[in-house]
Amino acid sequence: MEPINPYYPIPVKIKKIIPETPNITTFILDGKPIDFEAGQFAELTIPSVGEAPFTPSSSPYDDDLEFTIMKVGRVTDALFDLKEGELVGVRGPFGKPYPLKDFKGKEVFIVGGGVGFAPLRSLFLALLHKIKDYKKIYIRYGARTPKDIVYKHLIPEWQRIDGVDLLLTVDVGDASWQGRVGVVTVILDEIPVDVKTSPTIVCGPPLMMKFTTQKLVEAGFRHESIYLSMEKNMSCGLGKCNHCRVGKFYVCKDGPVLTWKDIKDIEEPFL
Amino acid sequence: MKSYLLSPDKLLDFVKELSSDGSLYYPELENGKTHIVGYDVSREFKPNFERIRTAENIKHFFFPSRDTVARFPKDEVIPVRKRYLFGVKNCDLRGIDVYDRVFVGWEPVDPLYKERRDKTIIISADCPEPEDSCFCNLLGLNPYVEGLSDLNFTVVPNGLLFDAFTKKGEAIIEAHKDFFTEAKEEDKKQRAMIRDQAIKKLNTINSRVFKKDLSARVGAADKERIRDARDECVECHACLHGCPTCYCFLLSDYKKGKDIERIRLWDACYYAAYARVGGGANPRSRLDERFWNRFQCKFDFFFKYENMYACSGCGRCLLGCSAKIDIREILWNL
Repeated sequence: MEPINPYYPIPVKIKKIIPETPNITTFILDGKPIDFEAGQFAELTIPSVGEAPFTPSSSPYDDDLEFTIMKVGRVTDALFDLKEGELVGVRGPFGKPYPLKDFKGKEVFIVGGGVGFAPLRSLFLALLHKIKDYKKIYIRYGARTPKDIVYKHLIPEWQRIDGVDLLLTVDVGDASWQGRVGVVTVILDEIPVDVKTSPTIVCGPPLMMKFTTQKLVEAGFRHESIYLSMEKNMSCGLGKCNHCRVGKFYVCKDGPVLTWKDIKDIEEPFL
Repeated sequence: MKSYLLSPDKLLDFVKELSSDGSLYYPELENGKTHIVGYDVSREFKPNFERIRTAENIKHFFFPSRDTVARFPKDEVIPVRKRYLFGVKNCDLRGIDVYDRVFVGWEPVDPLYKERRDKTIIISADCPEPEDSCFCNLLGLNPYVEGLSDLNFTVVPNGLLFDAFTKKGEAIIEAHKDFFTEAKEEDKKQRAMIRDQAIKKLNTINSRVFKKDLSARVGAADKERIRDARDECVECHACLHGCPTCYCFLLSDYKKGKDIERIRLWDACYYAAYARVGGGANPRSRLDERFWNRFQCKFDFFFKYENMYACSGCGRCLLGCSAKIDIREILWNL
């Protein structure tokens, strides 16, 4: 058998494009070029522009592969110019998945900020797939404004699921917003889970990660049970190019999710 | 271990035979430095095995500065020709040791590196005349090779004294056995003397040793010390691009006709944008942080990850430095 070239992106067409917010869009690919487990990521190639790392937002059990992506730079600018039916490339999966077997029988406490809800959605859907395995799933999600909330069309449905407790907040409300206002840490004042046994999973922008982690540590979660998505420059995804090194880890290979125990001694680990 | 002697008058014929089934590269002295040259029958063969490692390092053979790693949408594998690297010094082999770990030591294996490594026979040589810039001894290396290469030789008064470290090396001796005689004890004694003298010279050049807990000291260095160490660094990146153990790279895509080529380019952690992410956050936006990252990577991270320093003491970084920063001074003073 020919050895697989880990630098080669598998070509795949974009099946559907769903705008989520003014600068966040979900891209559903036509089929599933790679298998993955929740928490693993992929490199998405925009032909002749380059590639960038993204964690799928779809369930690992789905037949399609989805990414929910924020427009922030050169690669994502080019991606947002693509239309349904156009070609992208996918490499992966890379990194380690969430240790779902360790979550069994426990309350799972998920905290997301902004587009950080994308990988958490994949985790959430994986948990839903075997919801009876978990005591309860809590989600706390914060966006800047009501317009910046991703998966608006799906959230009410998720909130109705037995065994799911999902709360939202926005930093700044508007006339239509009836919900909570305040940064995501505001809805962490009350943590309804047993912090000594529950895993907590966080993904969001750097400042949100910093203050959320602080809050979760203060609340008493065990350091090895605080799972944090690390956003680092990851060029190869293979633990070879060295860009994502932080502390004693290659984030792409040993992460992209590390625990607070792993990174607490690093100065500004989320930067 | 059985050692073999190649008499000096047979060296050229041996090289000629080897080069019949692959390209052969060896060090040649030019303007006071040795450089890697390709063996060519039309050119006079004037190797130099006495001087220290070549000005260029051998990483180019395995991990070139610009490399096509994939083609899109249809990929294509370009075969590599067999090659012999003749006269490689131990400091450059430390680089191969690091690369072997990074590129093939864990999954997924880098197929290009593996193909080049598999197709390259490394014939190393002792380094009998260390120079002021050399400090392999401070990093646990000797100025001679005891493994990793396929064959090693020492230039002794009676010729070239060879040892084989791999099956490939043994096969070369076997295939060319008419050139070799079994080494005598006298030749081995000569080799021991040459090695002993080289070590003594290195110990004189580097009379101070690095502290045993170097890794921890690098990890714990405070901001003031880092700023002092950074000194006059002008970010020319010579220390990184010239380094035989640096392995940072960046993937970049280019259009070639209708297709796209994915190019792997050497990168360097001193570039301001090296660690910057798509959203703009940069964990090492300041030069002090980037400067120290090199030390953390080589002496703390790699030591924790692979139990070895990603530094060979070859001295290219201090010779190439525009600001004349000597890495040894920084490490001695930690």
